[in-house]
Amino acid sequence: MKPSLRPRQGAFGSFGGRFAPELLTPALEELETARREIVPTTAFREELDREARAWVGRPTPLTSAPRFSARAGLETVFKREDLLHGGAHKANNVLGQALLARHMGKSRLIAETGAGQHGTATAMIAARFGMRAVIYMGEKDMERQAPNVKRMELCGAEVIPVTAGARTLKDAINEALRDWTASLSTTHYLLGTAAGPHPFPRLVRDFQAVIGREAKRQWRREFGGLPDVVVACVGGGSNAIGIFHAFVPETPVRLVGVEPGGAGLDSGRHGATLVRGTPGLLHGARTMVLQDDEGQILEPHSISAGLDYPGVGPEHAHLQEIGRASYVTATDEEALAAFEVLSATEGIVPAFEPSHALAYVLRARESGEIAAGARVLLNLCGRGDKDLETYFSLGRSS
Amino acid sequence: MSLAALRTSIEEGPAVSPFLVLGDPTPDLCVELARTAVSAGARMLEIGFPYSDPVADGPAVQAAAGRALAGGTSTRRGFELLGRIAESCPGIPLNLLVYGNLVHRIGYERFTDTVSQAGASTLLVPDIPVEEAAPLRRAGRRAGLGHVELAGPLTPGPRLRRLAEDSAFVYLAGFQGVTGVRRGGFSAVLRHVTEVAGNVDVPVCLGFGLSGRDQIVGAFGAGARIAVVGSHLARVVERLYRSPGDAADLLAGYRSAVLGLTGNS
Repeated sequence: MKPSLRPRQGAFGSFGGRFAPELLTPALEELETARREIVPTTAFREELDREARAWVGRPTPLTSAPRFSARAGLETVFKREDLLHGGAHKANNVLGQALLARHMGKSRLIAETGAGQHGTATAMIAARFGMRAVIYMGEKDMERQAPNVKRMELCGAEVIPVTAGARTLKDAINEALRDWTASLSTTHYLLGTAAGPHPFPRLVRDFQAVIGREAKRQWRREFGGLPDVVVACVGGGSNAIGIFHAFVPETPVRLVGVEPGGAGLDSGRHGATLVRGTPGLLHGARTMVLQDDEGQILEPHSISAGLDYPGVGPEHAHLQEIGRASYVTATDEEALAAFEVLSATEGIVPAFEPSHALAYVLRARESGEIAAGARVLLNLCGRGDKDLETYFSLGRSS
Repeated sequence: MSLAALRTSIEEGPAVSPFLVLGDPTPDLCVELARTAVSAGARMLEIGFPYSDPVADGPAVQAAAGRALAGGTSTRRGFELLGRIAESCPGIPLNLLVYGNLVHRIGYERFTDTVSQAGASTLLVPDIPVEEAAPLRRAGRRAGLGHVELAGPLTPGPRLRRLAEDSAFVYLAGFQGVTGVRRGGFSAVLRHVTEVAGNVDVPVCLGFGLSGRDQIVGAFGAGARIAVVGSHLARVVERLYRSPGDAADLLAGYRSAVLGLTGNS
């Protein structure tokens, strides 16, 4: 890396920064000021903790999984973010950001959504706080995740179909950024993942870091010591950074992020940004990006709408660059098989997103990616109700 | 077209600057559109490189970029078309509008060298704000390319002066939002143009939401030296390209649209 490429604001090594149009600068500066001045106050922390317990359902348990572990040949414990209100880890972030938006005097929330989990979480918090919510969702994702669209509308949100590009998450973020540029005085852009221009990657990470903090404490109490490996799926990377953050200083603990391998890396149809991408500027940050050699962003592919993203949170790009975390892939097919295995062995139907992390653990002992005897902590970041329709439409017989 | 020539051109009088996307509606036609615009009185051109994710642009310019990409124009082809436009429009300053990832991917130095040699005078990268612009400015200066910064209705005075420092001109977005035609509320835009022009010691270019001669005359009266018309002309191109006429009809229609903006009829 040339030293001159280190971003000046919100850098993670050579990644991160604020590569957004000048017209968004007032909104990003206002948000950064609020992050620094409001979030650390006792009053804000108390309000956040109270709502996290009463509305989101924290803390979530750690669940041992003896039958799954036997199948994997590795002792595996799940952090149960699938039990949160709304069915995914997204609630942690929307609660924090909506509280902050309320303190900032914003009355309208906008959000992008891929799988619909973040849109749903935003719609729910907007209803609870009496705020307006507008959700941008790729048309293709609206088809893939129809039940979540209905849920958002039921909570009073307006869901706007995005017809540009591949009609998925990337295009929904573009539209949300465009809306925000025109509406920033009344509106907070509730970005759903730890990506985007500074301060979003830090803001989202800090609201998701509760996952790892809780899990570390619970692991010490229930199992003693620390896990050997922490595993999470990575699309934009918010659930992964959420569980990794508390473990980053614990260098003996391996951190593994699992990206969507789609139809296979060699097929070109995947979302393996960290494994196969190159550095670029996307959605306000310098990060790893799926792009062609002239800088056009490529369309990713994954069976999981929540991982179908050609960029990734810049902190993951940094953790990869410095070797603190490693990133691997699991294909659509592997994820579907893992989805079936967890359902049948533990009675937990996972979302397609964490099914990628499960798939990695299921193969890791045999492939030598994880040594025998290692204890694995896996972030089970969402439940699979939203994916049932897609799953059954595939006509698999498990 | 050198940077010094740009200054001379601006000193000679205010310039209407049509915006076009390289490769829109086809590679050959975009070169013809540039030539036509100049023959209809455009004294400057703003030229966009097509990008897959243009977050500062509204639907009309997004669609133009989509047509260009679908027709096979990406960055390399764009360099070639830029060179052809520069050759066919001698003496006309060419301001480039390029999204950061295209420049970053090719490399700041290689990109600025290439476009400068192809004939560009200035470069605006809308998603690299002033804080992150130092490496880009260095590369541009080395290549003899002027730097342009984007400012908006909410950009405060001290920041405006910072944007203007070592810039060829400041590109002021008249409205808070993405590019596109807007109606009403233009008197506030004009007041802001005057305020900005008084605040910075480089020329002010007004863009975003301009679509008519009245607005342009107003902008020049308020102190703008350049007025860019983008989305309005992108819609004209789209309409003409979809209609049954041939290339000559398209160019004639485009010419009359530009004449309506320059007042050279």
